[in-house]
Order: sequence, then C-alpha cells, then structure tokens
Amino acid sequence: MRILKDLPELLQAEVITPDTADKIRDYYKSKSRSSTSTNPLFIVFGILGALLIGLGIILIMAHNWDELSRSTKTILSFLPLLIGQGICAYVLIKKQDSRAWRESGSAFLFFAVGASIALVSQIYNIPGGSGTFLFTWMLLCLPLVYILKSSITSLLYISGSTYYATQIGYWSNFTVPYLYWLLLIGVLPHYYQLYQLKPNSNFTTFHHWLAPVSLTIALGTVAQKADELLFIAYFGLFSSFYMFGDLKFLAPHKLRNNGYKVIGTLGTMALLLVLSFNWLWDDLQSRPFPFNQLAKAPEFYASVITSLVATGLLYFSFKNKPLSRIQPLAPGFLFFIFLFVLGHFSPAAVVLINVYILLIGVLTVKSGVRQNHLGLLNLGLLLITALVVCRFFDTDLSFVIRGILFVLVGLGFFMANYWLLQKRKTHEY
Amino acid sequence: MNTKKIALFTFLLVALAQVYVPASMILNQEKVWRTGKEYKFKTAPIDPSDPFQGKYITLSFAENRIKIPKNENWLPGEFAYVSVITDSAGFAKIKAISKKEPATNADYFKATVSYVTEDEPNQVIIDFPFDRYYLEESKAADAEQLYRQAQNDTTQTAYALVSIKNGRAVIKDVLVGETTIRELVKAHQKK
Repeated sequence: MRILKDLPELLQAEVITPDTADKIRDYYKSKSRSSTSTNPLFIVFGILGALLIGLGIILIMAHNWDELSRSTKTILSFLPLLIGQGICAYVLIKKQDSRAWRESGSAFLFFAVGASIALVSQIYNIPGGSGTFLFTWMLLCLPLVYILKSSITSLLYISGSTYYATQIGYWSNFTVPYLYWLLLIGVLPHYYQLYQLKPNSNFTTFHHWLAPVSLTIALGTVAQKADELLFIAYFGLFSSFYMFGDLKFLAPHKLRNNGYKVIGTLGTMALLLVLSFNWLWDDLQSRPFPFNQLAKAPEFYASVITSLVATGLLYFSFKNKPLSRIQPLAPGFLFFIFLFVLGHFSPAAVVLINVYILLIGVLTVKSGVRQNHLGLLNLGLLLITALVVCRFFDTDLSFVIRGILFVLVGLGFFMANYWLLQKRKTHEY
Repeated sequence: MNTKKIALFTFLLVALAQVYVPASMILNQEKVWRTGKEYKFKTAPIDPSDPFQGKYITLSFAENRIKIPKNENWLPGEFAYVSVITDSAGFAKIKAISKKEPATNADYFKATVSYVTEDEPNQVIIDFPFDRYYLEESKAADAEQLYRQAQNDTTQTAYALVSIKNGRAVIKDVLVGETTIRELVKAHQKK
C-alpha cells in the first residue's frame, strides 16, 4: 500500500505525528483483515465455480447413459443432490459467516435439485414437459434463498421462474402461467432485505435489472382473448418502471445500475414508435372490439393493475416534485389509454401519437440542454430521428416532405451537439 | 432455539422435500411400471431436445381420437379420463373418455384434450401424457431416422409399450416390430 510506504517520509517531514502514523497503520491493518474474509473475488469465483460445476452435472446427466442400469441411474440421480445438501449443511454449521461459501454452496445445490428431478423424469419418461419440471425445481429451491441468505440463488430463481412463465405461456398450450406471479412474490422479501442492507452492492444492481426484465417478459403471457389490451398493460408497466426508477431511493444510482429507468424509458419509446404506424389503429377501427368480453380477458386485469400501479407512482411523483420536473414520458400510459379509446372511433389517434413522440423528443432535448447533459440531448434527438425513420417507411407521405424531414433532423443533430459543446467550453474558460 | 439451529432445522426440512419429490416420482412410476397392464400404442415420432433433460423422441399417436355424442361438450386443455382396450390386432384403442374418474375395472389414464373437430360427428383429439421417450444423446438422431423409415415401411409397425394402472401411465419402451428402438440404433451404429 502506497500510503504505508510513504509514512516514514511523512513522519520525517513532520507532516503527521507518530500517533497519527500508528492510527493509519492500524486502520489499514484492520481493513485488510476484514477484506480477506469477504473478498469479493472469493465470492465471484466461488459462485462461478459452483455454476459451472452445477451446469456441467446437468449436461452430463442429460446425456442419459445407456450403459447404466435403471437402478444405477436412479441412485446416481440423487448423488449431486446429496452432495449439494451436504455442502449446504456444512455451510450452515461451520461457515455461516462466509458469503462466498453460502453463495457458492446454495448455487451448487440449486443445480443439483434441478439435475436430480431432470434425471428421474428422464429415467422414467415422466410426462409433464418443462413447465411442471421448472415449477417444481423453483419451488424446492426458494427456501434456500432465505435459509442460506443467498442472492445468487435468488437471481437464479427469478431467471428460472421467468423461464417457467415462457414455457407455459409462450411455448406450450398458451395457458396463462398465473403461478409465475406467486413464484415472484416469494422472492420479494429477499429483494427488499437485500436493498435495505446493501443498496449499492452488485447483487442489488443485478436484481434491479433482472426483476424488470423478468416482468417485461412475463407480462406478455397473459395474452388470451383481447391482445390489443396488452399495449395498455405494457404502457402501464413501462411507465411504472420509469417512475419507480425515478423514486428517491433509486434515482441517485448511476443509470447503468438502474434497470427500471432504462427499461422503462426504452420500453415506452419502443412502444410509442411501434404504435406510430397505422396497423394497430386500422385494426381497432375495422374490427369490433369485444368490450362485453372484457371481464373474462386476463389482459384486461393486467391492464387495470399496471395502470393503477402507474397512477399511484405518478401521484407520488406529482407530490414530491414540481410539475415542471415531471418527465414527459411518465404520464404516457394515461395518454395512451385515452388514445386507445379514441382509436376505435377516429383516425386522429395515430396523428396524436406522432405528435406526442415529437413532443417527448423535443422536451428531452430541452431537458438535456438545461442539465448540460449530452446523453439526454442525444436521446431526445435519437427519438426524433427514429420517428422520422419510421415515417420514411410510410408510403403515403411525399418524398419531398420525407426528404426535408431528414435534412432538418440531421441539421438539428449537428447544431444541438455543437451548441451544447460550445456552451460547455465557454463555461470552462 | 438460536437462529443457527432454526436455519439448520428448516434446511433439514427443505432437504427432505428436495429428496422426497424425486423419490416419490420414482416410487409412483415404478409401481405402474412393475404391476400395470401393458398396452401397445401405435406411434409417429420426431426428435427434439430439452436443455435440462436431454434428448428424447416426441411420440404422436395414431389412435388418439374418439367420436363423442352431440350433447357432450369438451374444451381444449381440459382434463379427460381415457379408458383403453386392446383391438383385434393387439394394439391399444381409446374405448371412452369421461370427465370423472371411471368406476369400472377398465384401464384408464388421465390426459388432456388437444382439440375438438368441427365436422359432424364431433371427435375429441387427445394429447397423451406419455409423449416423451428419452434416449442417450448419441442415439437420438439415429433413432429418429430409423423410426421415420419404419413409419414409411408398411411391413413394420412402430409402437410404444405403455404400462397403465389406476389412472397413471408409464412408457416402458418404444419398438419397431419386435425390436426396441435402443437395440435397433445399436445395430445400426455397429454397421
């Protein structure tokens, strides 16, 4: 450590007293002692090792060795499980304080449980497909998250639950995987605890990304009878993410650590751009929407729930910030609900959505300028560009108008960036 | 009891559940395997794979439909109890389907309704629960190829040997004529 090497020199020059030098030495000694027990590298390598071994065992088992008899294979299927349980029991008795042991032990057991059920299903050709298998696997591993206080197991569990939702909702009989939501609720107390105890740890950041990704993937599985309503549900979801990411406990985090805000922003923008085309609106007008069947459609309940959550968050934002500081993306879901209803009667909806995108683009650019933030400025410009590119494919606009739009946006890019950089320069000097 | 002991005790319970689930799966299947009545179901397979459970051939079945009376209403995805009998050629055939567990001595198993045909009289198409037959990774592709040949060869019949007891069905083997698919692949790979 550089500072320890410099101590004699500092003492000689009488910059510090011998007493201070001792204090500095003691401080670094205690710091190095505590860091060896929770060295993040130990945790990372421990988990990586356990993940690789666990996945390796699953693959070796999946080979389905023909040379082995049914009973041998059956006994072998329990072997990794018992080893994993042995390791975890040892961790609980002897190494409860070691994060590296807890995380890697439970990660290994997580895969061992999966390998064991998979092999038994394979030996006995047990029906049920991947859905039942994944559900049983996740349910048997959820307690490990709490008993071993393992965040990697929590992350694996969220991933597995998402995989379960896709298997049931997208790839098999297209039934709604309601149990996914129960699985997800099961891990929330751990997530909350993790945030409370270690708001800045990598594991917390991974949760901030994985949770919104999982929800984004799983929401689509409710599609059954009235698919169009999913647009309202997704708007509600992305607006909620965006405002949740903007709340005081997540807002100070760097953008790359705030998955909610990034996914909320990009998701809303992508939705808006998709809807700036005519197809959904044509569809809404040409086909009678089954309003009388709404009570039976899971999409309807998904839309109501996400919209209510978003409204609640919007209320909080209004309460805590002046109106001028509310980002234009936040109330997007409310505007879309209005447009969705309007779209059934009038083609004006598609025009309004284009105007709204342009408005968000301009306001984002403005906010980038105000905050002297090049990223925000260019995000706004990119949104406007994307809108123009989308319109490029709309054949009913004349080439001249499209050409002019492109030239204007291109110039806008140069000018805005140049102007902001110039502004920075004059401030620096 | 301190926290450490509580954690250890809870872990013990979880560990038992983790062993119990696969063990009960084995016991249930083993019982049907050993003591159930065997049926031969004519098949037609393909070869997908599962990232966790390995390679298998998906079996679709020739005799997977039954006519239903007009007043019966079946929906896709609904559970159905399927009673089976052996036809004159020695292959399994659906005798009846019911919404409740049959009280008769007939062999039956629980399955799901795939869809209902719209042409009169209505027919219910059943998704059999024993539709996966796992094979060693190196044999699955050859098995599929050999099986396709067998399907095209009218002199040979491919079928799944299924053991049925008390509403449960366990697939024991897949055969082409009198030879199991495993032996067939082994002989083919030796050539």
